[in-house]
Amino acid sequence: MLAAALTGAALAVSAASGGMAPGDGTGLLAAGADSVRLLQEVTVAARRSVRTMATSQTLQGEELRALSSTSVADALKYFAGVQIKDYGGLGGLKTINVRSLGAQHVGVYVDGIRITNAQNGTVDLGKFSLSAMESVSLFNANKLDVCQSASEFASGATVYLHTRRPAGDSLAVQVRRASFTTFMAKVNAQFERGGWSGFVDGEWTDSRGDYPFRYRSEHEDTVGRRTNSDIRYGRVEGALFRGGFSSHIYYYDSERGCPGGIVRRLSDKYVNVGREWDRDFFVQASYQAQFAERHQVKLNAKYTNEYLRYCTDYPENHNTARVNNHYHQQDGYGALCYAFAPWSWLSLSASYDVRYSKLSADLKKFDDVLRLDQKQVVAAKASWQGLQAAASLLHQHYHDATFAHVGAADPLDRWTPALSLAYTQGGLTLRAWYKKIFRAPTLNDLYYTQVGNRNLKPEYTKQLNLGAEYHFDSPRWNVSAQADVYQNKIENRIVCLPLKGTYTWSMMNYGYTFCRGVNATAQGRYQTDDWFFSLLTSLTWQRDLNRTDPDDADTYDKSICYSPTLSSGITSVIGWRNLQLSTSYLYVGERMWSYADPDDVLKPYHNIDMKLTYSRLMNKTNWSVCLEVCDLLDKQYEHIPRYPMPGRNYKLTLSLGI
Amino acid sequence: MKKLILLLICSIAATMRGQERIILLNEGNWQADNGKITYFEDGEVVSNQWFRDVNKRKLGDTPNDIIQINDSLIAITVNWSNIIQFISPDGKRVAETEDVPNNRKLATDGRYVYVSSYGHECGTIHGFDTFTRGYVAKIDIQTFEVVATCEVGYEPEGIAYYKGYLFVANTGGYSFQEDHDYETTVSIINAETMQLEKNIDTGQINLYGKLSQSGRYLCINSPGDYYDVPAATVIFDCDKALDGGDDCFVVLEYASTYSCTMLDGNFLAIGARFSYYTNEYQFNYVVIDPREVMLTEGGGGVNESLPGTMLDDLKAIGMPYGVYVNPYTGYIYATDAGSFAAAGALMQWSPEGVFLGRHKVYINPAHFLALPPHGADFTGIEQTADRGKPAKADGRFDLQGRPAGMTPARGIYIHSGKKIYKH
Repeated sequence: MLAAALTGAALAVSAASGGMAPGDGTGLLAAGADSVRLLQEVTVAARRSVRTMATSQTLQGEELRALSSTSVADALKYFAGVQIKDYGGLGGLKTINVRSLGAQHVGVYVDGIRITNAQNGTVDLGKFSLSAMESVSLFNANKLDVCQSASEFASGATVYLHTRRPAGDSLAVQVRRASFTTFMAKVNAQFERGGWSGFVDGEWTDSRGDYPFRYRSEHEDTVGRRTNSDIRYGRVEGALFRGGFSSHIYYYDSERGCPGGIVRRLSDKYVNVGREWDRDFFVQASYQAQFAERHQVKLNAKYTNEYLRYCTDYPENHNTARVNNHYHQQDGYGALCYAFAPWSWLSLSASYDVRYSKLSADLKKFDDVLRLDQKQVVAAKASWQGLQAAASLLHQHYHDATFAHVGAADPLDRWTPALSLAYTQGGLTLRAWYKKIFRAPTLNDLYYTQVGNRNLKPEYTKQLNLGAEYHFDSPRWNVSAQADVYQNKIENRIVCLPLKGTYTWSMMNYGYTFCRGVNATAQGRYQTDDWFFSLLTSLTWQRDLNRTDPDDADTYDKSICYSPTLSSGITSVIGWRNLQLSTSYLYVGERMWSYADPDDVLKPYHNIDMKLTYSRLMNKTNWSVCLEVCDLLDKQYEHIPRYPMPGRNYKLTLSLGI
Repeated sequence: MKKLILLLICSIAATMRGQERIILLNEGNWQADNGKITYFEDGEVVSNQWFRDVNKRKLGDTPNDIIQINDSLIAITVNWSNIIQFISPDGKRVAETEDVPNNRKLATDGRYVYVSSYGHECGTIHGFDTFTRGYVAKIDIQTFEVVATCEVGYEPEGIAYYKGYLFVANTGGYSFQEDHDYETTVSIINAETMQLEKNIDTGQINLYGKLSQSGRYLCINSPGDYYDVPAATVIFDCDKALDGGDDCFVVLEYASTYSCTMLDGNFLAIGARFSYYTNEYQFNYVVIDPREVMLTEGGGGVNESLPGTMLDDLKAIGMPYGVYVNPYTGYIYATDAGSFAAAGALMQWSPEGVFLGRHKVYINPAHFLALPPHGADFTGIEQTADRGKPAKADGRFDLQGRPAGMTPARGIYIHSGKKIYKH
């Protein structure tokens, strides 16, 4: 089943992109009717076979490219159950939160290997481009493939970025000019020879990011432009594949300004001067093989090296602390997975993962921290006449060592289970699953100077889900819909709070959240020789309640901050011959950002992005031009109070591929 | 006759009105621009966004100290906005300046305002002064301009005015980020000349937080470094320091994270001694008699019992964030920052320590100022040597909040709280 899915995906890519699209949503796509037909035949097969027992959403092919997106974060915000946190602009930190579990419970995986950050446990999705990706998927709980590494079982929600496998040689070049003095250039080269395939994808972006904003209320009318919000980054990545072997190498280098929140000032004299440099590198490889028909084995290896510098130590900084800190993380990872299918209806698997992380920083009262993180999982999956079941038991062991004076935290040793059941009849699947998982305190949580608390307990989540999914396929029509109701409990939330009776802050276990909600998606496609229509919709309704302190009437049973009750997204794609128009609409309801005052709300917003692409084949060269308008209605909105998002902005992209 | 009685009752009511008048600064969240003022009168919160109500605008980010300068003028440091906001006692904006960035705490002699600053530059009438360490700025309340500055230690915090001198506690609080150590000194400045007289080394690091003054005595908090050096309190005798005595301070093994001066001249201090090694607290709630402390060199003068039920009430609250005694009436106040995402609370006790009520305020309620009771024939303001002319709220100001004099021929100026652009 897995093999079929993989091949399917690979076929779909090559067909849809004509083997040359960087496919980051900028519309290099040759909208040939043949390729489209091939794409969806295969993907539908892949989807149906693997993914109904797990709650999942996938964007790929045409729909993924149709979104106006510059990073993975832009694609994920259209999924049901996803809340995005974005500090605004290209350089603003972008993280996602799934079903209110918290960003640190979302694992992000590139081809099944987790992107880790031992320091703070979150992944800035703004650093990952869609250009090299064939699909982006979100799995609530587990993906439930046959041969999975233990790490894949170890987060509350998982985002899978699936790298595209080239099927043919191609070269594509793209240049873009966008609002706020933004320039981008991108090159993608792919090859396929004698069973080997691979690509190199490079991007360079420079943006001043000085977008205008306006805050208007009873108590202010503040108009201004973002300052110190420029970003410059280069990204080079490559991949090499052959059969069950895949590998990926990634390098990202950026410099950006940290603009800070918009606060009352009398003039522009004192602006934030903080700047941040990132250098992220990883190389990973995976080998998967099937032998003696019933046995499967997978080996994963990865090395990560991340460097971050934050600096405010400039002569012109006369008003804030002059900081110049350097952080350095290294991370080595290996996994061995083995799966065995004694009968056709049953598969068993086991995996051992080991990760070794090292964090160095030139903070005072800080010294190197080393973490050894070992995970083992045993999993079973059975299917019999439409009935499917999966169960897994994960064991995690964390052991830290540090030369820092505070000493290392006690080792952490926990078992956590997950269970899934599904029944499929015709196009309809009913499913139920339960998962208990925790996130270990990060190295920052435990050891960061003047904040860390090495007595922290892990933060637990318990998720319960009931859902139904329906598919209907015909040569011209594909329709699918799913709805899941869920209940999550999060215990011992790890938060930073000021210490009682001192002026300092510290990490603490504080908080209990109880969430109930509904996630629903529906999508349909219809196509003829000339026309192509696609509609994707998602809806999230949730009640996330703070159940921390029953004695506190102001907070108890109130919605969690930043969590909207209602949000929805609609994406439509209309294609006619060489023209394609896509429209994405996103609605996010009102959410509180503090409990202190009913006025402390982030207003609901509607966001519309439109994208028009014209592509043409001339002399075996594919040309395309793409105009995007983001935030068409020019709505002023924010995800974090006082961090405005850019209003209406434009992107013009020219691409050519051979 | 009935009318007369009614009139009499009304006039009594009028004179009785507003015995307890408290302005409370809610710091809000850092970089969220939600600093707010609570105005509390006679057992009721009149508004939790007083400044916004009165002025139709926001106060700014993280207000940090408030002081009354004279009958008609109050100053507020709005730290992360780099603004010193001057208001009248009825809450109206009078002027504002950003000449003193990263401003911290305030002191006054009734004619000038003295501000401590962690920053390294200051806009003065002579142009910009720059500093390697921190400084104190002297602001003339007739012009709202800085007339003189004096460099002190790194990150100067608490500041007090006594007999023509300024006493400034230096923290060195950026030592975890910057390449210098904690400070241990109290700088003494001649307020008239703004010349540094001397530095007194207390031997205690990080003299951080609000400093309380009781006549010649100061209560200075030293939280230590939260690792190896535990928190302490320095009781400082200004007279002895000016006389050159080496024995001008006594160190107590208590924390005074939040402190205030009581009507009888004692200090009320709440604090916790905390260490990141153990993650354990050691709380203290004490009344400190500074005379006794100085006399006995720390052997006596600290009383661990508080008036009435205060001790139990304080122990029960989530997160103490400020303590204050109304200097006119002796009523006692404390704030509870609660869970920091929810509204904090203001708690009130009678001078005898009888708990009177708990009131919902805003996020991180921290800094107090009591206004003189209505109808009282005293203002409670002691230092009125050379009182400045009350500034008019309806004047014209430039963008720095300085009075602009005549209406300028062109450019931007501020009039009646509105920005006006004249071609």
